Amino acid sequence: MKHLYALISLLFLILVTACRQEFPQINPPEKSVALTLTDEFDAFWTGMNNSYAFWDIDPTDWDAVYRTYRPLFAKLKSDDESSRKKGYTYYQEMTANLIDSHYTLYFKDPTLPAISPSNARILKRPSLHQPIPVAHYQKTIPANYLSAGAVTGVDTSKSSPGLLVAGKIKNTNILYFRFPQFALSDWYADPTSPAQAVVQYVFDELQNPDLDGIILDLRGNGGGNASDLDFLLGRLIDKSYVFGSLRAKAGMGRLDYLPWFDFTVHAVPGARPFTKPIVALVDMFSISMAEITPMAIKALPTGNGKLVGERTWGGTGPLTQENVRYNGGEFSTSVLARVYTSSLMFRYKDGKIYEGIGVPPDVEASYNGVALKTGKDTQLETAISQIR
Amino acid sequence: MKNYSILSCFLALSLSVFSAFAQLSVGVQGGYVKNYLNTSTGYLVSTQYAPATGFSIGIPIRYSVNKWLAFQVEPQLIQKNYRLNRTGSLDGLYQTTTNQYLQLPIMGHFSFGGARLKGFMNLGGYAGYWATSTNQGALFAFSPQLEDETDESDALPDYLLQKFNESYTFDGRKDRRLEIGLLAGTGIGYQAGRYNFFVEGRYYYALSDQQKNYMINQIPRYNQTYALQVGCLYQLTLR
Repeated sequence: MKHLYALISLLFLILVTACRQEFPQINPPEKSVALTLTDEFDAFWTGMNNSYAFWDIDPTDWDAVYRTYRPLFAKLKSDDESSRKKGYTYYQEMTANLIDSHYTLYFKDPTLPAISPSNARILKRPSLHQPIPVAHYQKTIPANYLSAGAVTGVDTSKSSPGLLVAGKIKNTNILYFRFPQFALSDWYADPTSPAQAVVQYVFDELQNPDLDGIILDLRGNGGGNASDLDFLLGRLIDKSYVFGSLRAKAGMGRLDYLPWFDFTVHAVPGARPFTKPIVALVDMFSISMAEITPMAIKALPTGNGKLVGERTWGGTGPLTQENVRYNGGEFSTSVLARVYTSSLMFRYKDGKIYEGIGVPPDVEASYNGVALKTGKDTQLETAISQIR
Repeated sequence: MKNYSILSCFLALSLSVFSAFAQLSVGVQGGYVKNYLNTSTGYLVSTQYAPATGFSIGIPIRYSVNKWLAFQVEPQLIQKNYRLNRTGSLDGLYQTTTNQYLQLPIMGHFSFGGARLKGFMNLGGYAGYWATSTNQGALFAFSPQLEDETDESDALPDYLLQKFNESYTFDGRKDRRLEIGLLAGTGIGYQAGRYNFFVEGRYYYALSDQQKNYMINQIPRYNQTYALQVGCLYQLTLR
């Protein structure tokens, strides 16, 4: 019987040690050593495999990308210029259908332009138009639509200066506010910034009980600091509210996610609810925070928010500066200075995810370039009509 | 409800198989369980898995062939829980996963010792169905303005923790709900008339990954479960 026990125990041990799969050795993309273009591909592919936040809904078959492109990279020579160019086109092809509309590949090689799948996607929109020129906000709107006393300021902190404009729509008590990006809290905190006076004007007007409505002109707004969500909208509510949910990666697996959690606008202490109409004016160049903020406006508990304009860009997933907190998002490799990608998925309160799609307006107001050249802003006029 | 139906089917099947034999014992057992998720966090930082405790209840059905050999099946409900902890500056963030499995262990039961007090060893395998899963924990709220005020050296304040407790919806692309594995156990039993009281330490070793093979470079996740259980068997027929 002892022999039988020993035999059974031995069989058990053999089964125990033989039947499980090995754990793969996965190196962080940042620390990968790339001697060949295949190594470069491996680091990039691995980073995406483990850090990209949208695998749950993204149509790209990342395994197929591996099987297709790794052999192609293996044929390329790292010291050959034409091979490098070929490799660049492979990166374009591999990432073409990624739905993350923040997604941008920045190469360390300055001769290689950044790759942005969403940029290529926007160029295919039937309603594609040029962004509205800054001169329109600087001259036409103050002259044709705003009362005397409107204020403007230029943010010079960025490489491309941005224009802020605020004032009252002519013959109304409707507040108009245009800003190029979300850096409101930064501008407000900097008394030396020309933009500070514009933000101060807006906040002062928000205290005006005679205000009949607000138009936030977010056309061409490239997004920015998520903290502005509370900083701006938190002044228009007296109770915090949830307008959607976010989801972060839990682990290395493509489908390893933590549960959805609330995306909340927090009320600024002492703020009073603004119950008059608030219109967010958006276009296809309203990106990121310029999409999230209108969605939060639309979800205001007081029900006075509305989106006017065009379907937005489609980059609604928030980013954080480091990817440790949410176990996903941005990374780099030895050749990619930055794989710029969202840290979180955002699902709006209607249950839909607008990443890669864009947020549709409540009231459609198409771009009218012909009218714009004559000084007539039909989109802004539609926004005004929603309040009047 | 569906889960209880499956458990009932297990039991009925087991009884029908053994009803043809004479020396049959049926009983109940239950105990304390500690499960380890055998996996890797790869290159993620400030992230680690930890074991979590749970319970098991089951209905052991034993057919004795002779004094030292018996065969046993044991339809059971067993928890295989684990915890995901964030560490360092993210200490305080965690997710405890509570998994309930309907499991059917089948084993050889080898006894040794005296007439009343006997030692025993169980060796066999099992198949389990991952019936339910719930997640409870706290994650980092997305509140950048508040975040700016946080000192990284401090523990995360409550307002940056978003707590949750919810059922997990299985993902057919990823989750493998059938688990097979090996088991080994050892313990002592005391025979008192038709009753056999026992205490057993048992080890379950999953051979199947909790995940389907859905991605290249997939990190497997295997359950490894320790149980300390007590129970009682009633001998339906005397030798």
